[in-house]
Amino acid sequence: MTEPSSTSPLPRPLAGLLGRIGRTSLLVSEHAGQLGMLVVAVFMAVVRVRVSWRDVMRQIYVVGVQSIPIVLVTAGLAGIVTSQQGGYQFTGSIPLYVMGSVVTESVVLEMGPVLTAIVLVGRVGARITAELGTMKVSEQIDALYSVGRDPIEILAAPRILALIISMPVLVGMANLFAILAGMVSAQYTLGLGYETFFYGARLFWHSWDMFYSLLKSIAFGFAIPVIAVHMGLRTGGGAAGVGKQTTQSVMFMTLTILILDALFPPLFLQ
Amino acid sequence: MRAERRGIGEPMIEYRGVYKAFDYPVLSGVDLTVNSGEMFALFGPSGTGKSVLLKTTLALVVPDRGDVRVDGESVYYDGPDALERIRCKVGYVFQYAALFDSLTVFENIEMGIPEHDLRTLSQSEVLDRAWEALELVNLEPRQVLTKMPAELSGGMKKRVGIARAIVGRPEILLWDEPTTGLDPVNTAAVERLVKQLSDELRVTSLLVTHDVIGGLEMCDRVAMLEGGEVRFVGTPDEFRQSDIPVVRAFADRHAAHEALDVLDVS
Ligand SMILES: Nc1ncnc2c1ncn2[C@@H]1O[C@H](COP(=O)(O)OP(=O)(O)OP(=O)(O)O)[C@@H](O)[C@H]1O
Ligand SMILES: [Mg+2]
Repeated sequence: MTEPSSTSPLPRPLAGLLGRIGRTSLLVSEHAGQLGMLVVAVFMAVVRVRVSWRDVMRQIYVVGVQSIPIVLVTAGLAGIVTSQQGGYQFTGSIPLYVMGSVVTESVVLEMGPVLTAIVLVGRVGARITAELGTMKVSEQIDALYSVGRDPIEILAAPRILALIISMPVLVGMANLFAILAGMVSAQYTLGLGYETFFYGARLFWHSWDMFYSLLKSIAFGFAIPVIAVHMGLRTGGGAAGVGKQTTQSVMFMTLTILILDALFPPLFLQ
Repeated sequence: MRAERRGIGEPMIEYRGVYKAFDYPVLSGVDLTVNSGEMFALFGPSGTGKSVLLKTTLALVVPDRGDVRVDGESVYYDGPDALERIRCKVGYVFQYAALFDSLTVFENIEMGIPEHDLRTLSQSEVLDRAWEALELVNLEPRQVLTKMPAELSGGMKKRVGIARAIVGRPEILLWDEPTTGLDPVNTAAVERLVKQLSDELRVTSLLVTHDVIGGLEMCDRVAMLEGGEVRFVGTPDEFRQSDIPVVRAFADRHAAHEALDVLDVS
């Protein structure tokens, strides 16, 4: 049981740093490998028709339908804030109909998908990790295997499918609601009429924008439950472990959403 | 399925050089064979890896080295279909029940029936089976069937866990301390159940227990796991007469106290 650094020819801090880099990259590749295997396993379960549609529908209700209120509230507030800040910036300098475009584009391209995803990380992702983590530490996952059932088929796949299906719908609703809220707010605070707002919105609108938003929502709807399930199934160490793992999972999901979001413009907005 | 009776003596569960380390080696090369129709008790101090060993039988814990064979098939080397067959013919009683807490007692027990059997059974047949399993573990089906696990006491959970393990009519049962935490009447009920399954249905039972007296009384053979290895395998009589120190400490109370005194001094 000798400490590795005591026999190493490198100076202690350097050896420590290298060791840390080594351990981190091992951990990263371990996560990457397990995430890849999870995705393949879920895909196989779907292809082999081992996933019950009843379970998927139930999960769509839990992760999708029940998220509608909070998603709409968030979207509405985002729309109002965008239109007010835009109004503050633009009054007197740029024709006000530009507001229509500012609100519509920033909501559809960015805020609708990202804010919805962040809300779902907290509401759905954290819940999935905590739920599966608790099942892991209380041996319920082992018990499933012992009765010949596959947790990937009956727990992971329905949750992942449900969010992939729900997310585009939620983002679509969020987009619509945010634009409406922004429009109403522009009418009240800036006196901008609905027709003028629409005129501005149409002026700079590309039909690709809608598709871009949809693409983002699918990417986020995939990333959130896959990471949540993966982190949940890796949980160890009792109730404290579940708490720790859920926090880490939320950080992991949030970072992934933001990184994916940053990758979208160079990839799809050229 | 179980109609073609196997003779006692054929190996049913074989652990071959099972090695597993977590932070330190827990199992360092366990070799053990349980024969078909046998009632086999596994003793050992707390924390020696009895539960870990049982879990390797269904690949719930994957050993670092070694293999486990169940009814002639390898758990680790014969592919996923073999593993699925093995999981369907083995019932597992978890030390802490491990009930699915989002499902009712009935749904929990229903999960114990293999999927392909479930497809051929009608809803009322499933209910009959769950009913029967609950009665065998001395629970009143009418009272518990619709309850959630959180509404049950520890001992009741444990017995629902047993019902879930036996409802699929497995050929092999792995019991992880089935009687720990039960009152004497329920302990007797579970012991009778183990015996009945073995006598009438020729189920092979591997029983991890701290109840040495009960284990010696019921079982055909017993083994002692200590320090990651099997220290003793033999009949209950051989166990009682053994002069291996750990075995002695388990075989009678006086020796246990002596062992404790030795520990105190050192
Ligand atoms: N998932 C795990 N991760 C890390 N260590 C583990 C894990 N499972 C078991 N261990 C360790 O393995 C050792 C054996 O555990 P095990 O549960 O098999 O003991 P046991 O013989 O069943 O004890 P008891 O009679 O108290 O149930 C323990 O020291 C435990 O700390
Ligand atoms: Mg144990």
